[in-house]
Amino acid sequence: MSPARRVLGYLRPYTARYGAGVGCLALATGFSLGIPWQVKEAIDGLRGGGGALAFHAGVIAVLAALHAVARLASRFTMLGAGQWVEHDVRHDLYAHLETLSPAFYLTHRTGDLMSRAANDVQALRALAGFGAVMLASTTFTFAGTLAAMWAIDPRLTLWALAPSPLLVLLARRFNHQVAVESTAVQEQLGALSARVQENLTGMPVVRAYTMEAREIDAFGRLNGDYLARSLRLARTQAAFSPMMGLISGLGGLIVLWVGGMGVLDGRLTLGAFVAFTAYLAHLAWPTIALGWTLGNLKRGLAAMTRIAEILDTPGHVDEPTEERQEAHTVATGWGSTGAIPETVAADGESTGAINQDRGPRHGAPNPQPPLLNGPIEFRRLSFGYDGRGRALDDVSFTVPEGATVVVVGPTGSGKSTLGALLSRLYEPPPGTVFIGGRDVRELPRERLRRSMGYVPQEAFLFSRSISDNVALGDETAPEARLRASAETAGLGSEIERFPEGWATVVGERGLTLSGGQRQRVALARSLVPEPAILVLDDVFSAVDAGKEAEILRSLRAAVAGRTTLVMTHRLRVAQEADRIVVLDEGRVVEQGTHAALLASGGLYARLWRIQQIEQELADD
Amino acid sequence: MTETDPELLGKAYDSRLMRRLWGVTRPHRRLVLFSMLLFPAVAALELLQPWLTKIAIDRYILTGDWPGLSRIAAAYLACLLVLYGLRVAISYLTQVAGQQVMHDLRAALFAHLQRQGAAFFDRSPVGRLMTRVLSDVEAINELFASGAMAVVGDVLTLGGIVVLMLVLNWELAMVTFALVPVLAAGAAYFRLKARESYRGVRTRLARLNGFLQESLQGMAVIQLVARERREAELFAGLNGDLRRAQFRSTFFDSMLYAGVEGMGSAVVALLLWYGGGQVLTGALTFGGLVAFLEYTGRFFLPIRDLGAKYTVMQAATVSAERVFGLLDAEPGIISPAGGAVAGLPGAAAVEFRNVWFAYEGEDWVLRDCSFMVAGGERVALVGPTGEGKSTIVRLMTRAYDVSRGQVLVGGRDVREWDLGALRRQVGVVPQEVFLFTGTVEDNLRVGAGAAAQNEEIERALRTSRADRVVASLPNGLRQEIRERGHNLSQGQRQLLAIARALLYNPSVLALDEATSSVDPESEALIRAGLEELLRGRTSVVIAHRLSTIQTADRIFVLHRGQVRESGRHAELLAQGGLYSRLYELQFGGIGP
Ligand SMILES: Nc1ncnc2c1ncn2[C@@H]1O[C@H](COP(=O)(O)OP(=O)(O)OP(=O)(O)O)[C@@H](O)[C@H]1O
Ligand SMILES: Nc1ncnc2c1ncn2[C@@H]1O[C@H](COP(=O)(O)OP(=O)(O)O)[C@@H](O)[C@H]1O
Ligand SMILES: [Mg+2]
Ligand SMILES: [Mg+2]
Repeated sequence: MSPARRVLGYLRPYTARYGAGVGCLALATGFSLGIPWQVKEAIDGLRGGGGALAFHAGVIAVLAALHAVARLASRFTMLGAGQWVEHDVRHDLYAHLETLSPAFYLTHRTGDLMSRAANDVQALRALAGFGAVMLASTTFTFAGTLAAMWAIDPRLTLWALAPSPLLVLLARRFNHQVAVESTAVQEQLGALSARVQENLTGMPVVRAYTMEAREIDAFGRLNGDYLARSLRLARTQAAFSPMMGLISGLGGLIVLWVGGMGVLDGRLTLGAFVAFTAYLAHLAWPTIALGWTLGNLKRGLAAMTRIAEILDTPGHVDEPTEERQEAHTVATGWGSTGAIPETVAADGESTGAINQDRGPRHGAPNPQPPLLNGPIEFRRLSFGYDGRGRALDDVSFTVPEGATVVVVGPTGSGKSTLGALLSRLYEPPPGTVFIGGRDVRELPRERLRRSMGYVPQEAFLFSRSISDNVALGDETAPEARLRASAETAGLGSEIERFPEGWATVVGERGLTLSGGQRQRVALARSLVPEPAILVLDDVFSAVDAGKEAEILRSLRAAVAGRTTLVMTHRLRVAQEADRIVVLDEGRVVEQGTHAALLASGGLYARLWRIQQIEQELADD
Repeated sequence: MTETDPELLGKAYDSRLMRRLWGVTRPHRRLVLFSMLLFPAVAALELLQPWLTKIAIDRYILTGDWPGLSRIAAAYLACLLVLYGLRVAISYLTQVAGQQVMHDLRAALFAHLQRQGAAFFDRSPVGRLMTRVLSDVEAINELFASGAMAVVGDVLTLGGIVVLMLVLNWELAMVTFALVPVLAAGAAYFRLKARESYRGVRTRLARLNGFLQESLQGMAVIQLVARERREAELFAGLNGDLRRAQFRSTFFDSMLYAGVEGMGSAVVALLLWYGGGQVLTGALTFGGLVAFLEYTGRFFLPIRDLGAKYTVMQAATVSAERVFGLLDAEPGIISPAGGAVAGLPGAAAVEFRNVWFAYEGEDWVLRDCSFMVAGGERVALVGPTGEGKSTIVRLMTRAYDVSRGQVLVGGRDVREWDLGALRRQVGVVPQEVFLFTGTVEDNLRVGAGAAAQNEEIERALRTSRADRVVASLPNGLRQEIRERGHNLSQGQRQLLAIARALLYNPSVLALDEATSSVDPESEALIRAGLEELLRGRTSVVIAHRLSTIQTADRIFVLHRGQVRESGRHAELLAQGGLYSRLYELQFGGIGP
């Protein structure tokens, strides 16, 4: 779809407003054109020695008042509509960003996306609001003024218009050049923004490696380039914008000369001459602003193109039909765990401090389809990230319902990839990943993810309060459940010790917490919705042995009956599992129980021995 | 992330700020002064045009003198051409000045941010800092592009018109000015309102952008907890708020605009009525009346523009205030003048002497913490999570300053060190791995720069076991790394971070849980490799896996903000204290 069509699509819902606004503008133009006409009548009357001066003055006053009202109305409607358009574009953009996968965020830098969402959306508003006003107003003013001038003296009108073809030619050139150059500026701004963003987020590394001077240099280069591009644009604008003033001035000159002679010859009255000059002055401002208006149009369309690049990236959209069928066909399909929400609701009558500072609670949630449970199965799964070799190669194994399976393997062997595919952060090939016997690709994402407590390897917290972070997956969860989850995750008393307890707002990405604290908040978060399936990716890596043992103990009680998949490097965790899967370079090299794997003497046994030997060494 | 700093929208003109801005323009002073000189010329020429029209009517048109008319037309043309030239010059010069100043300000801000300590970044969300460096600086440019400088021109034009009108016919001039007080009162009122509503827009925009930025970074989490709908609602709330604030702002702006314009037309009516009378009595010429009418038009235009420019200037002033506020934020941690660039001879020792430290207020993380790592010694630091292990490492490189006590590196207080030299001395692999976008090689050379030889890179990669990672990448060292290294596994990122630190070649190395996501085998191999590398260096290793710790010369156990136990693994076990309990917990359940 062309950007122009797209912009029109956003304008369509406000057709009525724009219509009203344009109507008001037409009226406003009419009223304001009436004023010089009255001046003309008055002056001609004066020349005739008298005339109804007071009458003309009165009409002008009335016209002025009407003009002001009409103009106000047009601005309210059209600028208001422009703001609605901005609102809608931003809304769609956010909604679409929510459907985009990690693969998208991998190739689009946050700084650049921010630049689009902020600057480009703003440019679009300038187009849909003020730009539309200017466009309509310019059109009307030109049309109305020309008509009035024509009525006074067609010949003089043609004379006055003589420089116009030049104007059109120049405007075209200018327009094109400005579009090219301002796109270059916007792009560089995006790059600059991405650079600053990265520098600021990576500041601990910058500091640790004394990179400051080099960072300043690198920024300086981008900054210098931005300056150069801006100056190029400035030069174009400086040369062309005053040209519009010059051309409208030339029109004035011609009128003065040719029109003046007309008055000399008696072909034109003095009043008509004055009115003509006044009309021409009317044209001056739209002519001068024409460059801006056209440039604004170009900028707006360029912005739409950049926004459309995001909007056109195919996102995940779940077919709602399937969801509905689900609710009917699958009965209470999630077995024993189905009782949990009710039991918690029973002891969750307290609306304590935690719930209160979590903002407005939303009314009864939509009837949710039942959560999933059942075995997790990987069936001959092969998968590679874009431009990379296979991260997983013919992987097959099953996590039986209610069982705990641990995946171990060297760094980069594909453990986290399993979690990413299971949760459909990345789309697995069809017929390879199953939950409860159904291909995950056929399950609506929302239902799939609600059913699954997945703790990714990297704990990300929002800079909100701890309670908001823990309750992220289920805002309606009663306080008691939040506390219970925190307890299970081994956070128990620690949160109380934070400066403001549960209400403590953590830093960006949770960076004011220690690594282990962050991991445990993320773990607690996944437990709150009480999912039947748990996927824990290396969640103990920053937790000390004591805490780990404590968490494992409480988790074991909490996960009883849940289907659990754990990725870890700590073989002590593996030892307790129902089954262990050993990955190496994307392949399953072994699977079985701890004892069986030790006996078979493969990779697992070797890893185990490494840990054992160290312990024995230490024990000596 | 909410904008917590007061979004106070102060005066549009603040002499202190203006002086400072004037200071910033120093390197481009000549440009600024020159373009300021051009403004009066433009104003004069603009005023000349109606005057020429007046002369044309009175002297030539009404008298039928057509050669005279042609002469006037020629003068008019000359006036137009000169005006064009001047406008081009002004437009270009002011833009150049503005862009240069913005460039300088951005560079100054960026450099200033590089000098800030970690505590500063704990308080300042990235989104807000970015707003300062990018949007606020851009807003200041408006002072050049359409604000302050053009105001000079407007004021001159206004003054000129007033004088000319008075000269032409003072009575009629007074009629024109009659409505000015009304206008001024109305404008003052709406301006006040516009200012308030503008503040509302800025606050809401900052809030919305902060929210958006965090959403972009945490999108995977939002998706995983199936929270898209709720986040979209929150966003819609902010979005709607912003729109309402904008509309309010538009309302007052438009009232101001339409008010001034309407007033202009009303004056035309007055003029015709009163001036027409004067023409009839012969007190005024026709040309005079026409010129008057034209001047009125030009009189109200700058007034109207001044209103708009006032808003722009307010915005610019607010931005300038914030930019200077940021530039004034003293870096809490600065390199002392003539700071030490080397420690005492021998391998650098690290010592904490009665260190008290809190990130905020009195929430002590370290209380009276003392320990000594001798030069060349290998120490392991253990303790439960959240006890302050990472904090100790941060204090070693002076990311923060201690509240009480002393941290010594190489026998000197870190506050006596030249900061750069200290950080070259003490290399850290932080717990939070951060990789930059760019190639793998760029990331490795982050510390060592272009000087590092390829063999050194190879060796660092081998020792850290990152050689296998690089080998697995299709483009090897040239592989592009995405934002934060998200196209690598967590363990792979850690291995690269270790390689990066090794290449940095510091004499004190601190590894903060550097292998927490690495498999036991690689970890053992790294340990073996480091054995060689750490000879003659001081090292502090933080790890939770006891296997990593056991080979240390000494183990320090951190508890309640102090090092409670220290000694070799076996000694500590024999003591039966904290360490033995920790050890018991990890390996207790496992029978050999
Ligand atoms: N988003 C991505 N894009 C491209 N390649 C990726 C991406 N994520 C992971 N990889 C690559 O896929 C392979 C498997 O990665 P994965 O994260 O699954 O490993 P892992 O077993 O979890 O490792 P670790 O133990 O270090 O966490 C690695 O070679 C990694 O570099
Ligand atoms: N930047 C910070 N601002 C405020 N508090 C912090 C910050 N960093 C860490 N903390 C707090 O200080 C304590 C010690 O953290 P840290 O040194 O990271 O612990 P660890 O021993 O796990 O490395 C924790 O309670 C943590 O929440
Ligand atoms: Mg992983
Ligand atoms: Mg830590």
